[in-house]
Amino acid sequence: MDSTIASILLLDGLTSGAVYALLGLATVLVFTVTRVIFIPQGEFVAYGALTLAMLQSGKTPGTVWLLMCLAVVASVMELVERWRHHGNPVRALQSALKTLLIPAVVAVVSIWAAPQQFALWVQALLSVAIVTTFGPLVYRVAYQSLEAATPLVLLIVSVGVHFAMTGLGLLFFGAEGFRNPSFWDDRFALGPVTLTGQTVIIFGVSLSLIVLLWLYFEKSLRGKALRATAVNRTGARLMGISTHASGQLTFLMAALIGALSGLLIGPTTTVFYDSGFLIGLKGFVAAVVAGLSSYPGALLGALFVGIVEAFGAFWASAFKEVIVFTLILPILLVRSLRSGHSDEEH
Amino acid sequence: MKLKKTLLALAVTVSASTAALADIKIGVSLALTGPGSGLGIPMQNQLKLFPQTIGGEKVQLIVLDDATDPGKGAANARRFVTEDKVDVIIGSCITAVAAAMTDIAAEASTVQLAGSPVGVPAGKDKWMFRLPQSNTVIGYAMVEHMKKQGVKTLGFLGYTDAYGEQWLKEVAPLLDKAGIKLVATERFARTDTSVTPQALKLVAANPDAMLVVASGSGAAMPQLGLVERGFKGKIYQTHAAATMDLIRVGGKGVEGTFVSAGPVIAPDQLPDSHPSKKMAQDFVNKYDKVYGAGSHNQFAGHAYDAQVALEKAVPMALKKAKPGTVEFRTALRDSLETMGRTNFAHGIMNWTKDDHWGYTMDTAVMLKVVDGKFKVE
Amino acid sequence: MKQHLPVLLLSLSVPIIALLPLPDFWIAQLNYIGLYALVSLGLVLLTGVGGLTSFGQAAFVGIGAYTTAWLTLNLGLSPWITLFIGLGLTAVSALVVGLITLRMSGHYLPLATIAWGLSLYYLMGNLDALGKYDGLLGLKSLSVGDIDIGQGRLFFVLCWALLIAGAVALINLLDSRPGRAIRSLKGGTQMAEAMGISTFRYKVTIFLIAALFAAVAGWLLAHFQRTVNPSAFGLKMGIEYLFMAVVGGVGHVWGAVVGAALVKLLDDYLQVALPAIIGTSGSYEVIVFGVALVLVLKYLPDGLWSVVARKFPRPPRALNWLEAEDLPVRSKPAPGEPVLVVDNIRKQFGGLTAVNDISFDIAAGQIVGLIGPNGAGKSTTFNLITGVLSKTSGRVTFCGQDVSQLPSREIARQGMSRTFQHVKMIADMTVLENVAMGAYTRGHKGVLSAMLRTNQVEEQRLMKEAQRQLERIGMGVSLHEQAGNLAMGSQRLMEIARALCSDPALLLLDEPAAGLRHKEKQALAQVLRQLQREGMSILLVEHDMDLVMEVCDQLVVMEFGTLLTRGTPAEVQANPAVRAAYLGTEH
Repeated sequence: MDSTIASILLLDGLTSGAVYALLGLATVLVFTVTRVIFIPQGEFVAYGALTLAMLQSGKTPGTVWLLMCLAVVASVMELVERWRHHGNPVRALQSALKTLLIPAVVAVVSIWAAPQQFALWVQALLSVAIVTTFGPLVYRVAYQSLEAATPLVLLIVSVGVHFAMTGLGLLFFGAEGFRNPSFWDDRFALGPVTLTGQTVIIFGVSLSLIVLLWLYFEKSLRGKALRATAVNRTGARLMGISTHASGQLTFLMAALIGALSGLLIGPTTTVFYDSGFLIGLKGFVAAVVAGLSSYPGALLGALFVGIVEAFGAFWASAFKEVIVFTLILPILLVRSLRSGHSDEEH
Repeated sequence: MKLKKTLLALAVTVSASTAALADIKIGVSLALTGPGSGLGIPMQNQLKLFPQTIGGEKVQLIVLDDATDPGKGAANARRFVTEDKVDVIIGSCITAVAAAMTDIAAEASTVQLAGSPVGVPAGKDKWMFRLPQSNTVIGYAMVEHMKKQGVKTLGFLGYTDAYGEQWLKEVAPLLDKAGIKLVATERFARTDTSVTPQALKLVAANPDAMLVVASGSGAAMPQLGLVERGFKGKIYQTHAAATMDLIRVGGKGVEGTFVSAGPVIAPDQLPDSHPSKKMAQDFVNKYDKVYGAGSHNQFAGHAYDAQVALEKAVPMALKKAKPGTVEFRTALRDSLETMGRTNFAHGIMNWTKDDHWGYTMDTAVMLKVVDGKFKVE
Repeated sequence: MKQHLPVLLLSLSVPIIALLPLPDFWIAQLNYIGLYALVSLGLVLLTGVGGLTSFGQAAFVGIGAYTTAWLTLNLGLSPWITLFIGLGLTAVSALVVGLITLRMSGHYLPLATIAWGLSLYYLMGNLDALGKYDGLLGLKSLSVGDIDIGQGRLFFVLCWALLIAGAVALINLLDSRPGRAIRSLKGGTQMAEAMGISTFRYKVTIFLIAALFAAVAGWLLAHFQRTVNPSAFGLKMGIEYLFMAVVGGVGHVWGAVVGAALVKLLDDYLQVALPAIIGTSGSYEVIVFGVALVLVLKYLPDGLWSVVARKFPRPPRALNWLEAEDLPVRSKPAPGEPVLVVDNIRKQFGGLTAVNDISFDIAAGQIVGLIGPNGAGKSTTFNLITGVLSKTSGRVTFCGQDVSQLPSREIARQGMSRTFQHVKMIADMTVLENVAMGAYTRGHKGVLSAMLRTNQVEEQRLMKEAQRQLERIGMGVSLHEQAGNLAMGSQRLMEIARALCSDPALLLLDEPAAGLRHKEKQALAQVLRQLQREGMSILLVEHDMDLVMEVCDQLVVMEFGTLLTRGTPAEVQANPAVRAAYLGTEH
C-alpha cells in the first residue's frame, strides 16, 4: 500500500467516522440524561435521508403521516395524564394541544410543500424539521412513563421502538434504497487526495455540532439543567427541573442529530430503510468506548472505528466487520480496567 | 396507488377466504421484511395478480413472511404441510430459506416451487423445482459477452452473503473455461456507508472489466464507487440488478453497464422469433399496469412463471386426483416433470425427472443500460 | 412438598400433552418454545439475577449447533457424543470470552457481548467448512437406538424434559450457598467480597452456565431443524432471546418459559391474523410486534411472571435444621493478645491525603471506638483495614498475620467481618437468607452440588447458624421477612447478625447506631457488651457519643485524616484538642 492509497483510506475512514461520531454523541447524550440506550438512533438517520428522497420526487413522505399519528397519540396520553394528575380538564386540554401544535404545523407545511418541489436546501430543512419533531414524541409515547425503570427494561423498550420504526420505514419507503443529490458538488485537491464538497460539509457540520453541544452543556442554563437530571433525577426535580421536559429535549436533540446525519450521508451512500441499525451500532460502539459519558472520547472512538473499518475493508473486505468488532474488545478491556469498578452503577 | 394495492390485496384475500374444501391451496413463503425484502415484495406483488381459479378449481393463496430467516421459512413450511395442508408451496426467494424448506416439503410429499436458484445435496430435490435460472445459466451469457469483447482479466465486487458467494462459486469455472482470469475479489454489505477501500483495491489491480454482484438499488453504490475511483473499463451486473432501481439510484454513473438477465426485462426489444417474447410481454404489461411503468423485474417474473407452471400442470393433475390428497400432489409433481418444453416468461422451461433446474444455457439475455433504459445487446 | 407442586404439575403435563391428539403444528410450536426457553433460562441467571446483560447467547447457540452439524455430517459421529463435544467447545470459548469481558464493568460488558456475537456470526458465515452463508444442510434427527426422536412428540418430551431439568437446577442453585453469592452480584461487589465471596469467579461461573444452556439448545435446534445457518446465531437473535427473558420476567426462572412462549405465540398470531385483518402480510407484523413489546413493558416492567409471583408468593421456609450439627468454630486469640495492629497506614488520592499514617491496635476482648468529626477519614480507614481500598503505605497485622496486601475476601476469610455505613443487603431475599450469606466462608458446597441438591446437610447447618445469630441479636421473629421490608434500624441489626455468622475474631461496625431510636441503641449496647463477654473484639465507628462512651474500652480520635489522640473514654473526653476538633473552640 502506498501513501496515496493510505491517505485516501484515511480520508474515507475519517469521513465515515465523523458520521459515526455524531451518532455516538447522540447516544451518549440520550444515555446520560435518560439512561436509555437508544438503539433506534440509526432509524432517525434513515428517516432523515429517505424523507428528503421522497420530497425530491415530489411525494409526501410517509413520515409526515406517522408524525401526525404519533402526535395525536401523544396528545391524548398527555390529556389523560394531566387530567388524572391535576384534576383540571382545561389545563389538561391546554397541555394536549401544546403537544399537538408543532407537529401539526410541520405536517401541514410538509403536505403543502411536497408537490411544490422547492429548492434542495428548503427540502432539506423540511426533512430535518419533520424528523426532529419525532424525537420528543417518541419519548413521550414510549419512555416517559418508564422514567423509573431499570436500564435493562429501557433497553428492551428501545428494541421494540426499533422494530416498529424499521417496519414503518419499510412500509413508507419500500425495500429499495435512495440517494440524495450532493449539497456541494465542487472538488478540492488536497495533496494526493480529492476532497469533495460533501466531505467538507460533513466535517464542518460534525465539528460545529460538537462545539455547539459542548457550549450548550457548559454555558447555558438549560444545558446544565440537563446535566443535573443525568446526575440525580430527584435532586433535579427538587430544583424545579422537569424530568419530562429534559427527556423530551434530549430526544429532540438526538433526532436533530440523526436527521442531520441522514442528510450528510445521503449523497454518498445508498440509504435503505434498514441502513440505520448498523450505522447506529457503530455510533454506539464509539460511545461505549468513551464510557458512555465523554463527548471528546466518543468523537475519538468514532474516528477510530471509521479508520479501522476503512483499512479493514481494504485488507480483507469479507471480514471487515469481524476486524472492527474484534479490535473493540482489547480497547474495551483497557478502558474498563482504567475506569475502575463503580459499585453504585448497578 | 397504495389504496388500489390494498384494495386489490383485500379483494384477493377475501375471495380466497371464502373457499370451499376442494380448493387448490398454495402456501407462499417470501422475504417480505428483512434484507431480502427487495426480492420478496415484487414477487408478492405479482402473486396478488394470481388468477382466482385454475382448471376450474378455486385457488387459495396463503402468503407468509419469512423475514429472510431460514428458521422462519422452515416454520412456515411446517405450518403449510401440517396446518394448512397445502397442495403446493411457492418459496422462498432467498436460497438459504428455500433450502431450509426443502426437506420439510419433501417429507410431506409436497411440490416446492423455489423462487431462488437453491442448491441442495444431490437427490434431495425430488420435490423441489427451481423457478429462476441458475447463476451458471445467467453467467454463461455474460461470460460469452466478455469473451466477445476481448476481456482477459476480471475484478469481482459482490455482496458478502449467500448471493455473492454463489455467484463467485458458479462464475469461476465459466471464467476458467473462457480463459478469463479473476484478478481481484472484494466483498461489501448492502448497508455499508462506503465502498471506497474495496474500489481502491480493485482499481489498483487494473482488470479489463468488473463484475458487480448485488441486487436492485444496492448494486448502484459499488458501481459508482468504482467509477469514482477512476475505473474506465466495462462493468457487468447480474440479473438481480436488472431493475429500474439500479438506474434510478445510479443515474448517469451506470450508463453503459452490461446486465445479464432473463428475457422479462425488455421483451419488446426481443426478436419476434424469441419463444418467450409473448409470455414476457404479457407479464410486463399486466405487472406494469398495476404497479407502474418500468416497475417489473426479474423476481416478479419468476412469480409469473409459477403461475404459468401451475396453470399447465394443475389441470393435468386434476385428471388423476382431487386437491388436498397426496395423490394430487404426486400427480402435480409428475405433471411438472412430464409437461415438457413450456414457454415461461423467463425462457423455455424443461423440467424432467432428473433435472429440476430446467433452463438451457442460452436462456439469458445480455442487456445494456442506454439513456436510462435497458436495451437488448 | 408444596414448594415442588408447580414443578411436579409441569413435569406431569409434558407426557400428557405428548399423548393428547393435538395438531402436529402445536407440537412444533411447543418445540420451538422449549428451545428458546432453554436459552432464555441462561439469560435469567446471567442477566436477571447476576445483572450482566449479554447479547451474545445466540453465538453460543451457534457453537453448539455448528459443532454437532459439522461432526455428524463429516465424521458421522453420534449426536449424543457431539453434544458433549459441543458443550466442551462452548465451555472453552465461554471461559475465554468471560475471562476477558467479565473484568469489564457497567456498559462495557453488553457492548463486548455484541462485539464477539457479531464477530462469531461473520466468522461462521465466511468459513467454507461451515457452508458460509448457506450453512449446513441435511442433518439427521436424534435417535435412541432404533427409535427416531424426529421432530414431533418424542422430541417435545426430550426438549421439555431438558428444559424442566434446567429450570429445576437453576431454582435449586439460587437457593443455596453459591446461589446467595450469585444473587449478591447485582447489587455491587463490595458487600459480597466482604463476605468472602469471589465475585469474579461467580460472574464467570454464571456466564459459563448460561453458555452451556445455550449450547444444549443449539444442539437440539440443529437436529430439530436439520439445517444450521448463521442467521439464527446473529445479533438479531441475541436481542430476541434477551427480550424474551425480559418480557417474561428476567428475575424469575419461569419467566424464561413464559417469555419465550409469549413472544413465539405473538409472532405466530401476528403472522396469521394480521393479513386476515389488513389484507397484506409483511412489515405490519413487525410494527405491531414492536408496539406490543413496548406496551407489555410499559404496564409490566418486571415482566409477565411478576404478576404470578405476586399472586402466589413463596411460602415461608420450613424449619428443618433443628437437628443439624453446629458449624465448627474458629479458634480466637486469648484475651489481651493483640488482634489487630494498624501500623502507619496511609491513603493518598492524588494530592489529598485522606488517611495520614494512622497507627493503633486492638487487643482481644476490647471494644475500640474510632471517632472524629465528619470528613476525618474514619470510613476510609475502615476500608483500608478490611482491604476494600488499597493502601498507599503502611501495614495491617491481624491475629499475627500480615494482611496488608490481601483483597477484602481473603481478609474476611481470616476472621475479620464488617458492616457498612449504608446498609448493603439483598432486598428480595429473606432476613434469614441474607444473614446466611455471612456464613459463606464456613461452607464448602459448590454449584454442582447445589443444582443436584446434595448440599442439604450443609445448608441446614448454615441456616441453623443464621437463626442463632439472629436470635442473639434479638431478631428471631423476623426470620422469614423480606429484608427490603424491614425498618432501617432492623436492617442494621441484620447486618450485624450477618457479620457474626462468619464467626469472626474481629467485628468492624460502621455507624451501627445510625437511624436507631433510643431504646434500640440501648439494646445494641447490650448486644455489644454481650459479644465482648463472649470474647469478641470490636472496632466501632460511631457518631453517637453516649453509646461510644458507654460501650468502648478505648477510643481512637481522628481529624483530617490524622490521629489526634487515643485513650480511654474519660481521657479523651477531657482532652482539649478533641473538644476543639468537635466544637471548634480555640485552645
